Amino acid sequence: MAESTDTAVKEKDEISSEAVSVDTDGFGASAMTEEVVLSVKDLQTQFTTRWGTVKAVDGISYHVKRGETLGIVGESGSGKSVNALSLMRLVPSPPGDIVGGEVNLNGRDLQQLSEGEMTEVRGGEISMILQDPMQALNPVFNIENQVGEAIKIHQKLKGTALLDKVVDSLRKVRIPAPETRANDYPHQLSGGMRQRVVGAIGISSAPAVIIADEPTTSLDVTIQAAYLRLLRQIQQEEGVGIIFITHDFGIVAKMCDRVAVMYAGRIVELSDVRTIFNEPLHEYTKALIGSVPKLEEKTGRLPQIEGQPPLLYNLPAGDAFAPRSTLEFSPEDAERRPPLIEVEPDHWVQLSKSSCADFDKYAHLMPAE
Amino acid sequence: MTTAEKVAIPSAPGVSDNADAIISIRNLRKWYQVGGGFLGFGNKIFLKAVDDVSFDIERNKTFGLVGESGCGKTTTLKLLLGLEEPTDGQIFYEGEDVSQMSKASRTEFRRSVQAVFQDPWSSLNPRMRVRSVVGEPLEIATTMTKGQIATRVADLLTEVGLNAYQANLYPHEFSGGQRQRIGIARALALNPKVIALDEPVSALDVSIRAQIMNLLVDLQEEHGLAYLLVAHNLATVRYMCHDMAVMYLGVVQESGETEAIFNNPMHIYTNALVSAALPSHPDIQREEFLLPGEVVSPIDPPPGDVFMTRTPLEVDPNHKWANERPPLVEKEPGHWVVETPWSMASDAGLKVELSGHAGA
Repeated sequence: MAESTDTAVKEKDEISSEAVSVDTDGFGASAMTEEVVLSVKDLQTQFTTRWGTVKAVDGISYHVKRGETLGIVGESGSGKSVNALSLMRLVPSPPGDIVGGEVNLNGRDLQQLSEGEMTEVRGGEISMILQDPMQALNPVFNIENQVGEAIKIHQKLKGTALLDKVVDSLRKVRIPAPETRANDYPHQLSGGMRQRVVGAIGISSAPAVIIADEPTTSLDVTIQAAYLRLLRQIQQEEGVGIIFITHDFGIVAKMCDRVAVMYAGRIVELSDVRTIFNEPLHEYTKALIGSVPKLEEKTGRLPQIEGQPPLLYNLPAGDAFAPRSTLEFSPEDAERRPPLIEVEPDHWVQLSKSSCADFDKYAHLMPAE
Repeated sequence: MTTAEKVAIPSAPGVSDNADAIISIRNLRKWYQVGGGFLGFGNKIFLKAVDDVSFDIERNKTFGLVGESGCGKTTTLKLLLGLEEPTDGQIFYEGEDVSQMSKASRTEFRRSVQAVFQDPWSSLNPRMRVRSVVGEPLEIATTMTKGQIATRVADLLTEVGLNAYQANLYPHEFSGGQRQRIGIARALALNPKVIALDEPVSALDVSIRAQIMNLLVDLQEEHGLAYLLVAHNLATVRYMCHDMAVMYLGVVQESGETEAIFNNPMHIYTNALVSAALPSHPDIQREEFLLPGEVVSPIDPPPGDVFMTRTPLEVDPNHKWANERPPLVEKEPGHWVVETPWSMASDAGLKVELSGHAGA
């Protein structure tokens, strides 16, 4: 296939010097290993507001393995972003506070670290990629400066050693001619390149875990596809664990090995991606997946979930989803918070009669009162 | 009310002659001058946001415009709403050329085409109560009394799934999905015939999107509305649109019936968009290909086919379509595409298979 003629050289993304990159295997094999790198136990984060205490994250537990992509799915108010901030201890305080739980990264509980120690970990062992990679770069600093900033802090490099590391990071994200690119400013790079630079910043300190919080929300479809591909590449090469926070089930289907579905600050279902799509047990998971129109076929009437997510300062005591569940309401769910139970190997669900059609099948697993 | 002389709507490539169209767009252009031409000297440089676009919006149906940033879909929507003036081309409403209409007809036209915008936060004035937000069009455009307006507002709110008493509240007291309903109620106030929907659900939570899409579909049926839907999510377009056009750099590359296009996407660009779309199930392994380069800016494009600079196939610089804009060609009934030696996916071996998944 010949090179395309082009009249706007500046804009051409030099990466694909081959005409079209075609990927036929979906997305490549999963890079997941068995080694747990991050383990969260019973995390609780609250905000004190004038309407009451908002339990943004109300006791969630999950883990991430090396090379794994864990998707955290939820809507506004589900607590998914506060969860990310809590891992990084970036919760604004006041009004927020992490009031309980452990965050074990590489064997250390991050909640127990001093602020100084945590600063080293942040951007180092655990880094975060934010929404809108286009805006994440500072327009008045060149690339070397921005990618180097994190390296300087975490690896204490200077001079040529620092530059070498910067160039190395840029090369890892497939930016061609990284030595020259390092001198450029963000506006001189195409959108795709800027994405990659943000990725380079994220991996510059060889983190064990990357938290990506809805990084593709505002991107065009083709740019999003390229970005997800890049994240996957990085994961395969670096063995990094990724926590992907999203509300988009398409991303979950494409990127994630395992999925945690959050609702009202709690995890309602947690399993591997195929189980979540093929055998969801919680009504919320089922309804959420069902309410997304499919590109692959003409969808009939779209099933919808009635009502809205609850106000977090006014959470029902028991099962928070029960009011919206299409199943009949069971009175015991009014008071008792349903526990998260492993009903099948690696398939956890918040077991409540009002929100699980298969409750009776697993009722025997409920802990004694 | 005098009417302008009804002229026959010119036919154009990409549009069937027998459509029952309420809106006909013909050869629409919007060029912005961005440089050059100082004091009448030198060549002017234009940003050609919309460059010869033609389509029909049929009564009671939804027409979708898809494409990436800079393709001209939002500008087209603004041209329809009169938020921008066309540089060239015509918009026909009920068979009448809008630019030739009498003042009264034009007023009628503007009332009949309303809009719902993408951002439910910025599209509602935060200092106005809902009853003012929804009632404002009625105050401006009708002679209804306050009491009549209040009743109508209550009816509209109920129709979009809200409560009449909520008319007293301010927008910030509602969730995103509810605010979008308020925007829809406002759009319905003057009994329009056409509603332009600019990414109406992309800013909403997933579970709310289905609610709003279903609401729009129900309202369409009940009121016989026609919709122009601008969206980047192809699944949304497939769900809601009967017909659609894929735009690139201000020019339609492929258009026709939605199902025809998704069952057999012909243009390389359409295939690229479809292949980049996210799957609806983890087992769907769609072949994904990324075109070389990025979307070029619509500033000062070359005279020929706009896709020339992005195609992976060889472009013969002496070919007619490298120097002249190629037209849309009806390759199968109801399915039009810009056909050049370098635009067809089948020639490049880049056809994407969209298949459903049997699981779950």
